[in-house]
Amino acid sequence: MKRKISFTLNGSPVVVETDAARRAVDVLREDLGLTGTKEGCGSGECGACSILVDDVVKLSCIMTAAQLEGRRIVTIEGVGQDGELHPVQRSFVERGAIQCGFCTPGMVIAAVGFLKENPDPTREEIRAGLSGNICRCTGYEKIIDAVEDAAAKLRGGGSGG
Amino acid sequence: MREDGRHFLQGPRLDAFSKVTGRERYAADEYPGEFLWAGAKRAFVPHARLLAVHTDRAAAHPGVVRVLTSLDIAGSNRLGIVRNHQPVLVDETIRHAGDAVALVVAESRETLREALELVTFDHEPLPGVFDPEQALKEGVPRIHGDNEEGNLMRAVRVRRGDPDGAFRGCDVVVEGVFETPRQEHACLETEAGWARVDEAGVLVVVASTQTPYRDRKEIAAALGLDVNRVRVIAPYLGGAFGGKDGITVQCLVGLAALSAGGVSVKMWWDRRESFLASMKRLPARMHYRLGAKKDGTFEALSCRLYYDAGPYAGLAGEIMAMGVEHAGSAYRIPNVNIEGYCVYTNNALGGPFRGFGVPQSTAGMEQVVDMAAEKLGMDPLELRRVNALGTGDRNCVGVELKYSTGFSECVDRLADHPLWKEREAWKASAPPWKKRGCGVGCMAHAIGYPALIPDEANARVELTESGTIRVYSGVSDMGQGNAGTYLRIAGEILNQDPATMEVIQPDTDHGLPSGTSSASRTTYTFGNAVIRAARSLKEVILRSGARCLEVEDIDSLELVPGAVRIKGSGRKAALRDVAALIDAVDRSCKGYFRTPYDESTLGIMYLGAHVLFSFGAHLARIEVDTLTGRIDVVDYVAVTDAGRVLNRAQYDQQVQGSIAQGIGYALMEDYVMKDGRHETGDLATYIIPTSLDVPDMVSIAVETDETTGPFGMKGIGEVVISGCVPAIANAFHDACGVRITRVPLTPERVLSALAGQGGKE
Amino acid sequence: MADVHVPSSLDEVFRLLSDEPSATLFAGGTDVMVRSSPDMRERGPFLCLERVEELRGIHGSATEVRIGAATTLSEVIASPVIADLFPLLREALRHVGAPAVRNMGTLGGNICTASPAGDSLPPLYILGAEVELRSLKGRRRMPIDAFITGPGRTQLEEGEVLCAVVIGKEQGFNFHHFEKVGQRKAMAISVASLAFGAETRRDGTIVKARCAFGSVAPTVFTSRLLNDTFAGNTLNTAVLDRAVAIIREGVSPISDIRASMEYRRQVAGNLVMRLEGAGKDR
Repeated sequence: MKRKISFTLNGSPVVVETDAARRAVDVLREDLGLTGTKEGCGSGECGACSILVDDVVKLSCIMTAAQLEGRRIVTIEGVGQDGELHPVQRSFVERGAIQCGFCTPGMVIAAVGFLKENPDPTREEIRAGLSGNICRCTGYEKIIDAVEDAAAKLRGGGSGG
Repeated sequence: MREDGRHFLQGPRLDAFSKVTGRERYAADEYPGEFLWAGAKRAFVPHARLLAVHTDRAAAHPGVVRVLTSLDIAGSNRLGIVRNHQPVLVDETIRHAGDAVALVVAESRETLREALELVTFDHEPLPGVFDPEQALKEGVPRIHGDNEEGNLMRAVRVRRGDPDGAFRGCDVVVEGVFETPRQEHACLETEAGWARVDEAGVLVVVASTQTPYRDRKEIAAALGLDVNRVRVIAPYLGGAFGGKDGITVQCLVGLAALSAGGVSVKMWWDRRESFLASMKRLPARMHYRLGAKKDGTFEALSCRLYYDAGPYAGLAGEIMAMGVEHAGSAYRIPNVNIEGYCVYTNNALGGPFRGFGVPQSTAGMEQVVDMAAEKLGMDPLELRRVNALGTGDRNCVGVELKYSTGFSECVDRLADHPLWKEREAWKASAPPWKKRGCGVGCMAHAIGYPALIPDEANARVELTESGTIRVYSGVSDMGQGNAGTYLRIAGEILNQDPATMEVIQPDTDHGLPSGTSSASRTTYTFGNAVIRAARSLKEVILRSGARCLEVEDIDSLELVPGAVRIKGSGRKAALRDVAALIDAVDRSCKGYFRTPYDESTLGIMYLGAHVLFSFGAHLARIEVDTLTGRIDVVDYVAVTDAGRVLNRAQYDQQVQGSIAQGIGYALMEDYVMKDGRHETGDLATYIIPTSLDVPDMVSIAVETDETTGPFGMKGIGEVVISGCVPAIANAFHDACGVRITRVPLTPERVLSALAGQGGKE
Repeated sequence: MADVHVPSSLDEVFRLLSDEPSATLFAGGTDVMVRSSPDMRERGPFLCLERVEELRGIHGSATEVRIGAATTLSEVIASPVIADLFPLLREALRHVGAPAVRNMGTLGGNICTASPAGDSLPPLYILGAEVELRSLKGRRRMPIDAFITGPGRTQLEEGEVLCAVVIGKEQGFNFHHFEKVGQRKAMAISVASLAFGAETRRDGTIVKARCAFGSVAPTVFTSRLLNDTFAGNTLNTAVLDRAVAIIREGVSPISDIRASMEYRRQVAGNLVMRLEGAGKDR
């Protein structure tokens, strides 16, 4: 059933006309051209499709288009502001947390969401916070390093919220 | 050989920015304008004669453009690297559940899904063959009727000295049968690509592939095209690890494009299709027997290795041969009898996976070494040190090691590490219901292809008209970062900031054939070629710079970022101006490199042997929960000799990533098949490690100087993974006093092993 | 493609349900959307409860706490009320999936899925939780162990919606324990789990105890005999041995791709062994 769905995407209002049952990940990638949100499993097992829905990390591969209505959606393309990398992105680059990069957008989204809730985490808390995001390349260690580093940056910058 | 400075080799990965912002476009990310979707009808039966395919209902479905079967293929309809016998679309025999019997091209993904349901086929089931040792017995159905040796795809035997006599003279003989599971790559990006026939009539295939140049030939042969009418482009891959070492979507999407009248066709396997139709690490069963003298000296090794290839040859025989070549790990053993058998079954496709046959045999060898240490009453690291290969020694297949060999130093560094030296105190302080153990595993891993297959690369480095440097990569970047490394290497030679340079991903139209992204060769082989190309270009630039600056002697000039400068003077010429004085063809320089090989090894074994190796020694400290059987890897130390370290972060990425995959292989990953059915067909049932399942790791680099390597390096991509299974299995034995010979060491196997000891724990 | 409705009030839910009685209800989608094959999704229709105001939030009365069925697992975990009164429930929910799954999955969803492996269920059984069901015909309340009748089966009738979980404030437990056995440490489906709540004296003597096991029977396994075994005793080896025997006798696990029946039976018993010596000095 085609329907007009309005929501805020990376700070700007958008309206898409699409089937209500389509997956949010397909709307983002195919209709809106935001291919930074990846699909790795299609069943909520890998976290590659993570997006922020009203600041909360959710999995766009098991969300329907209808659920986007009225929400504030942030994808990897909207994490940084004014052309600057988000501190989490900066830390990922600096700490070597990126290999093939296919898990990276979802991992960054998960880390951004996690640090909003827990601005001063231990390594073990970071591990738990990212445990729904599968990375097959890195062995996670440098990703944990990066999130630890980003947490310090965000606290130091006074922009922890 | 080393250039001064090396500062351009350091720094963050050059592909990090585009990846961290989501801007990098992988093959899966292309939705090329007005395009069609292609999808395969999979067999879901393991072995059957295909009688008929019914496409009418699907073809009549609104939105369906074409339904194709084997009858629509003009070429050989056969894929293969050594043996061409895997159909693109089945024409006679279905040999595994993931075989494709038809291809649907449709306007949308929804229509495609519906139409695939409407395709049906008639088949006559054939008895399946699922166990590799059983498959070799008399009277078992043959998977390939024309294969003279029944279901035996390939056997490789290496015999040295007098193993039978030597065993009789040994003070200690230990033996065991070890099993390793089928492992799925589970790269985050599933197989994807798109294709179209361009205005010139060339079939352009863009795919997530490790092997663009080899694909091109396979596509041409299978689809009946002149190889010059096929172009393959390989963007950055979203992971591969060997799983994209060859054809996945390429022929299917190419076939669809050939019938789409110039319209692009996209194919992207979902996770279930990926698991069903992709290659897996070959499961192995290994019979090991090792004999030693009282002082620990290894005298004799005898082993029989069975690798389950699945239904088609692919590279399975070569994988098994690597297992044979590394069956003795990194030790001197004068008398050996090694037999490897690669066997056809109706299980999932077998294929390359980081380690290429070596993790299997290393798991066997390194456990039997620990058994020998126990029987000898020797420290397991001391026993390894006594037998460690050094320069000038011969390895188990008899190849003399003439290149850098830092294995002894790896063992020494591990023996010196506090996590090893202080292990007894750590073990003694285990909390209630826990047992702690420490285990070691060592390994060697060859670099490049075996002697018979030229391991060659052809690099091209260009000074563009605008004065920037462009490197044409011939080897796919599946995530290891080799593309950026090529820029750094060229930048190092040309003294240019890599951030100002450009790398072109492999494209059979622009680059030069350079082999595959595999075999721990991407930086070693192609990097050497880049050095040579960049040196030639440097000379071209300096000569032109001399004309620009009106000096005679190019030795008075130097390259600085963006310019050629007269040494000791401020005078310089911008590279743009320098470029303007050079003919277009001369601004592009080629470099060729071939990895060292030794023809005399051709007589030793199938395809000959390797001569250049990386080495390593690992320690795993584990905690076993005696109530649940769960194993936690608490600490992990990997000491590696992969030559000089070019970029520490990228080096450690390979080490850490390998350990994580190795921990998965040792503890949880097991792609289960039952009678040819895929029992773990998704990421909910095929379990891989999360961030909570992998500890922080210690990576120690023993930086031998490999004089043939670019800036002294050797391959780091594969060597590490082979240590994990034995280190963890040996740690389990250390903790619990019982050996589980079959990995993964699942809680269930652990608990049943502990129960077998008689205790209720 | 199917339609998906996202109503914001219960009235709207019931109106939609009377128009389309066959609609599939879901809240977070972590079960229904995962299980729905693409073509099933094309059939629908679906009714998403995530925004129904009456189904959201945690509210306390003098004697009870009412958790709206569409409250996400993350919200339950973050609730100070839950942390204070029902730490066992909080602990169990922390073991569900991973953060994003808990941000989407809801308590009502976990109950209605009625999986033997549902991580919220053993603690809810121990806490004597009741579910509140509403339809156009009215509302009813029943204990959770009566509501869940088998794997994937509940007493939910057509046109009826699970609105809330109600838990009595006075539980009297001063000791709790939860352990889940999975194939890995996150994103794991339970192979066996134990929830244990007890009132103990300073010396560790159990006044009363309740035990519930997940994934070792068609529904949560509880046993009065087992609970009674603990009463009046400390968690000593002899008592635990008796408990282990009762557990292994009482559970009725299945074999599947994750674990065998034998392992589940063995480990279910083993899990209480971990309690040895616990519960003292509180």
